[in-house]
Amino acid sequence: MIECRNLAKNYGTLTAVSDISLHLREQEFISILGPSGCGKSTLLRLIAGLEVPSAGQVFLQDKEISGKKISLPPERRKFGMIFQDFALFPHLSVEDNIAFGVNGSASEKQQRVQELLKLVSLPQLAKKMPHQISGGEQQRIAVARALAPRPRLILMDEPFSNLDYQLRQQLRRDIRDILKHEGVATILVTHDQVEAITFSDRVLLMRDGKLVQSGTPEEIYQHPQTLWASSFVGEANHLSVEWQSPALNSAFGLLNVPEAIGKEARILMVRPEDFVVESATDGDSNGIVKTVDFSGSVQTIGVELNSGETIQVSGSPHLLWTPEDSVKITAERYLCFDSAGNRLNGCSSGSASK
Amino acid sequence: MRSSAHSGGWNFFTLSLALLFALPFFSLLFTAASAEENVWVHLLSTVMPGYLKNTFWLMLGVGSGTLILGVSTGWLISMTEFPGRRIMEWALLLPLAFPGYIIAMVYVELLEYSGPVQTQLRLWFGWQNFQDYWFPPVASIGGAVTMLSLVLYPYVYLLARTAFLQQPATLMEASRMLGKSSKNSFLHVSLPLARPAIVVGVSLAMMETLADFGTMQLFAVQTFTTGIYHTWFGAYNAPGAAQLALSLLMFISVFVFLERYSRKQQRSHTQNSIQTQHPRNSLSGIKAVAAPLFCLFPVVFGFALPAGLLIQWAANSWREVMLERFFSDAGNSLLLAGLTAVLAVLLGVLLVYGSRISKRRRIRWAARTVSLGYTFPGPVVALGVLLPFAWFDRTIDAWMQATFGISSGYLLSGTLVILVFAYLVRFLALAYGTVESGFGRITSEMEDASRSLGKNTWQTLKGVHVPLLRGSMLTAGLLVFVDVMKELPATLMLQPFNFSTLATRAYGYATEELLREASLWCLTIVVVGLFPVIFLNRQLRESAPQNLQDKDHD
Repeated sequence: MIECRNLAKNYGTLTAVSDISLHLREQEFISILGPSGCGKSTLLRLIAGLEVPSAGQVFLQDKEISGKKISLPPERRKFGMIFQDFALFPHLSVEDNIAFGVNGSASEKQQRVQELLKLVSLPQLAKKMPHQISGGEQQRIAVARALAPRPRLILMDEPFSNLDYQLRQQLRRDIRDILKHEGVATILVTHDQVEAITFSDRVLLMRDGKLVQSGTPEEIYQHPQTLWASSFVGEANHLSVEWQSPALNSAFGLLNVPEAIGKEARILMVRPEDFVVESATDGDSNGIVKTVDFSGSVQTIGVELNSGETIQVSGSPHLLWTPEDSVKITAERYLCFDSAGNRLNGCSSGSASK
Repeated sequence: MRSSAHSGGWNFFTLSLALLFALPFFSLLFTAASAEENVWVHLLSTVMPGYLKNTFWLMLGVGSGTLILGVSTGWLISMTEFPGRRIMEWALLLPLAFPGYIIAMVYVELLEYSGPVQTQLRLWFGWQNFQDYWFPPVASIGGAVTMLSLVLYPYVYLLARTAFLQQPATLMEASRMLGKSSKNSFLHVSLPLARPAIVVGVSLAMMETLADFGTMQLFAVQTFTTGIYHTWFGAYNAPGAAQLALSLLMFISVFVFLERYSRKQQRSHTQNSIQTQHPRNSLSGIKAVAAPLFCLFPVVFGFALPAGLLIQWAANSWREVMLERFFSDAGNSLLLAGLTAVLAVLLGVLLVYGSRISKRRRIRWAARTVSLGYTFPGPVVALGVLLPFAWFDRTIDAWMQATFGISSGYLLSGTLVILVFAYLVRFLALAYGTVESGFGRITSEMEDASRSLGKNTWQTLKGVHVPLLRGSMLTAGLLVFVDVMKELPATLMLQPFNFSTLATRAYGYATEELLREASLWCLTIVVVGLFPVIFLNRQLRESAPQNLQDKDHD
């Protein structure tokens, strides 16, 4: 329903967004994920019509709404927006906030307000003023207000970052359910990978104003396009590797990869859960346990490899290691990256062999 | 209570000072109640209807005048970009430097029958006398409304501008996203959000209008302030004057309440929001010309034109002016203003500190009663101070006569002591408020740290607070100094025989229709009045969120 073509935005000499194309389907949830200052909020504001693009176009149902000649004002796009500070109108009561964007007679407005208060499970707050309710309640009211005019699309700009951890998780689920129930397409902007992964059907990864990768959360986690993406989404161990014909030499032995790829490979990426740790019998140890962190469902150990590199390995909490244990480490799954940090196709998985 | 064990001395000091400063109010109550015949009925049937009618029209006129000028300029300056905006931003504050009675004097001189404007018109059109044409009378309610609107709108401008700037940009964006156009967003979001601040500004302008004496007296508009003056000086009717004073205070208290209530409301409107920069709407075409012209209008008529005329008249009358008289008046003003400023800062610091270290609510309350004096108009303060001082002098005199057979005369009422005390009653609040906000930046942990390092309250005040408060104290002193320089009615009612200040002499000249002779006196007061404007402007720049362009220039 929404399509961006080669969208760009400059502020003077500063490029906030450059050459971004994306396509959002009906009822789809996507997240735009990236570190602060990567231009993700600007991209959202370009779609909202709050900013005018320097180049490129935005289409709504194949009709151009932002471009060289046209810029449909935000109030005529019928998109709902949820802001980081919620932006509830402090001079209006909760019900007046929700009714703000609703057209129709007083009784129609009243009915819609009641529906939405029920939807966000806060019917008792109708007469309260925004400063009298909690942060989590303000958040839900902001969602109700954005949904009230029946928008085609919901845009969310870091909507959970003002809330504390526990509340954030609860609200994320609730709000996702509400939006799914309403069947409205949603774009979420966030710097929090967990939020992006758990909230959306598809994640767009942004860095320095550019789109780095787009895909389902699993795709991005399992097959990051770049080294940066591998460590921005999830934990990653980066180990240096060297081609020694006929195999790739790593800290835990030689890896079988095709020669053409092996020659390009410089860095090996292994997720902490993709290592296998065994007690070393004499002679085959390739690392020593240095730290042991127990955090409930997983145990994370820091291992200093014989190569001098340190890796983080996570596993079942039942195998309790202690510092200075000699261990034998193998990698069950890995990815290779070239000197520019881009992933090499055909160099993945398989297990290391001696 | 453990903590108040060491602050007993402080509590006593705070309480007695508060009592001393409440004295004028109680003396008014006492005098009003002690009327022998029922003055109240007499007042109601004679002067009261006229005062009420005039007050009503003044409120309505100055209220809408300051509202329209202040909100429109505040909006243009904070939300739009046009050529000259940065100059206009501070120029719009300049009219604050003019006391109402001085701008009134200038316009009377300019627009009266024998003034340059009407003379020129008669020449052009060949009119012989006033029967041939109609010219709006300056000395009228309409004139007073115009004068006061021109010098009081900056209150509304200042507060509206800050309120618009401090609104989070996301609120306007949220409104746009919910389908409201930018005009509707302004009407439904921006304006209602700024309303408490605007009400504060208009309330301040209303209080000033109710308290104004000089303009009303010059334009012969009968209101409560002039009524108090005449009832006292013309008829020596103390109970009558006191009753008028109390009715005036009743009116003022409405606006005091409105002002305080709106401030509270505004605080709940501005809580927990992220400050984001407003994108300014760049005006183009005819709007880019109209906006600076519109802002220029109050600046020219409220400051540039009257100031220019004063300079011209002062330059022309230079030789005829009695410079000795000027210097003696300036010296008197300087002495009074300086003395009051120093005392006000000193008492302000002690009062704030006293109420801070006291854990008792009663003491804090007592310290705050001092701040009510600022809402008392000059004639009310003068009357409230004069009555107890005169009683004191009479009592001492009678006792001296009875015991020693000598008369002590007017010990206090005829001296500068009574004048300085009246100024303190009126302006201590100004010093108190400024010092209090300075104290706000000193945390109670700093106090505790000093006390735990073995310093007593006095040593803590001297070693920690005073050095940190130097800026606030200077500001407080400056504000009080300038207000004393400009003060007219209380000085007029309380000044010793054969004594005058810049303000009272200027007013004296004006009543003798020697307005041009007064120009040097007026000009001096206006120049001194510019200092707080400069200070306000600097404070404004520091408090407002910087916009993108400002950053680019840095």
